[in-house]
Amino acid sequence: MKLSFRKGGVTLAAASVMLAVLGGAAMADTPSWCGPKKASLALLDGFGGNSWRLVTTASGKAEAALCPSITDYEYADGQGNTQKAISDIKSFAAKGVNALVVFGDAGPAVLPALTAAYKAGSVVVPYRVDVGGEAGKNYTKFIGSSFKDDGISWGNWIKSILPDGGNLLFLSGPAGNSQGLDELAGMKSVLDDKYKFINPEPFDVTNWDPSLTQQVLSAEIAKNPKIDVIVSDFGPSLVGALPVFKKFNRSIPAIATSDGNSLGCFWTDNVKDNPDFKLFTVATGNDNVRLAVRWAVAEATGGTLPTEEIFKAPVFEDSVSGKPSAVQCRKDLPGSIYLSAVMSGDDQAKAVNK
Amino acid sequence: MMTLAPNMTRHQPKKVSRFALAKGFVTVVVSMLVLIVLCMVFAPSSVAQGALSGSLPFAAILMIVGLGQMLVVQQGGFDLSVAGGVSLSVVISTHYPAGDSAQLLPAVMIAYACAVAAGLVNGVLVGFLRMNAIVATIGMNALIYGGVFAVSGGVPRITTPLLAAIAGGDTFGLGHSVWFALAVLIVVVIAMKKTVFGRRFEAIGANPLAATAIGLNVRLYQMMAYVLAQLFYCSAGLLIAGITTQPTAFQGDSLLLPSVAVVVLGGTSLLGGRGFPISTAIAAIFLNQLSQFAFAVGVPYSAQTIIQALALGLGIGIYSIKMPNFGNKLNKLSNREDEDEAIVS
Repeated sequence: MKLSFRKGGVTLAAASVMLAVLGGAAMADTPSWCGPKKASLALLDGFGGNSWRLVTTASGKAEAALCPSITDYEYADGQGNTQKAISDIKSFAAKGVNALVVFGDAGPAVLPALTAAYKAGSVVVPYRVDVGGEAGKNYTKFIGSSFKDDGISWGNWIKSILPDGGNLLFLSGPAGNSQGLDELAGMKSVLDDKYKFINPEPFDVTNWDPSLTQQVLSAEIAKNPKIDVIVSDFGPSLVGALPVFKKFNRSIPAIATSDGNSLGCFWTDNVKDNPDFKLFTVATGNDNVRLAVRWAVAEATGGTLPTEEIFKAPVFEDSVSGKPSAVQCRKDLPGSIYLSAVMSGDDQAKAVNK
Repeated sequence: MMTLAPNMTRHQPKKVSRFALAKGFVTVVVSMLVLIVLCMVFAPSSVAQGALSGSLPFAAILMIVGLGQMLVVQQGGFDLSVAGGVSLSVVISTHYPAGDSAQLLPAVMIAYACAVAAGLVNGVLVGFLRMNAIVATIGMNALIYGGVFAVSGGVPRITTPLLAAIAGGDTFGLGHSVWFALAVLIVVVIAMKKTVFGRRFEAIGANPLAATAIGLNVRLYQMMAYVLAQLFYCSAGLLIAGITTQPTAFQGDSLLLPSVAVVVLGGTSLLGGRGFPISTAIAAIFLNQLSQFAFAVGVPYSAQTIIQALALGLGIGIYSIKMPNFGNKLNKLSNREDEDEAIVS
């Protein structure tokens, strides 16, 4: 252990000399959050097994690549296994990686590992999923995403298309996930009692798994003769299930969700036969990771800290008003990319198809 | 005449044993009927045509996976590489063609080739090298998952339109996957019950020592169980890839426990021997309908999980409880019938 630390020290020293020599020229177009100190960065995913995560990972990598001070970029996938996620965090910290950007899917379960890494001297930036604890004590900074704002955006849109109220069906991920609860709170803050949630409290559990989503949704469609709006925080997972409405001779209802190329194309292909099929999406939030990476890099390299502390997913598509964007579909690109992300569709296609 | 009657029944053990062997089938059919009645009373929407057409394809997948697991269990083994086998075929069939339907056939061939390879390794380890089945297959599962990551990086692509049409389409109101599952079931039933291979397969499972003594190639048959099982998992994976347009790379994970559950519910002994393919298939539908019931009742997720676990526990408990009374009652019942017959005659 000590030996490797010394080795790291030597590398760091060598790197700083290199920086001093080469730094001048590159400095001109580096972003302000990228400081002069060399650092290594690791992105730790709790679960990397869907296209959203892949695009997010590629986005994180692209953002880190903007900073020449980042000498080494590593990635680990917890595969939805909390123990593996914890051991990933610990082993990267033990390896002496300077900055850890962590998607703590398991929530507070990973907090002790984060705290240990932070205490051992790494910059630790958990993002998107609330892991508990507090900044400066358990980790360096938490970069949350305002899921409540997503809920508010959906709620306002639902109000605009259904001013007299209606039946809403809300699907989210694993039982009790904070994202779903925040979104629900957001919706409830703008929707009154005229809007009835017909799913079991607080939401239908889908684990964000397309096959479970399909089973849950077909059960709900069979059970509820009147569904006015489906709200889901992972839009593309609905695509496999929506054709079930046809089996009941019912139109697909309005959908408020997050974006995805497959969903946009599904809407384009099916809107004619389904008169009630309106679509409203917020950006899926792949770029949340970019803000987290900026914070981690700024802390580790001595750059200027970003002013934003929370990622707010912008509204993306609205099939009713066409603002800020009409529904988008790029048939030439894979369905599993997110046109709302900063990364271009073609680059995402490369990331997803690697 | 009266005194003869008990002797007569003693000479007819066949009738009694038939009753005992059919217990699995009776249990699973009765459970299924009870569940259907419960569904009709408490959650009528879960047995509506649309709901069934949405949920049966998943039952079909579980059925195929369960039949594969059954073959292994019949040889006294356990196959924990279900998850890997299914996931690998999902990622191969989605990654290799990458949306191009023309590439689907080669992808399917590759998937089956990998399944045969994985099955052979499992089979050789367990059948020939006499390794513990659980240890061998759990190791194999990790290896296959290595393959899943090598192919996909953990992320599958969207299904090709052709596979979606083949696996996800409808004919005569039933999803194609259901037809595929029925075809697999019929093949298994005929092969198991009506062919020399099938009869030997069951005999070997029931008593490998006796089978060796009469000169059967026990190890070969045991190996074949693992190969066939992998072929079934592969087929199930292809169907999942077709049914869910955007499957994850770990789609098989959720099938491991149910695959064993349906085999046990179907009445196949974990010690090996006779297999019950039809009961296993019904158990798959039962298990699937059970989760649909839980969804449709609209109880919170925690309660859904509890309902499923309880029903499963009860179902499996029936076999674990030794029921001498049950057997005796049947014996007595059949004795009495025989006595009556004897009296009449």
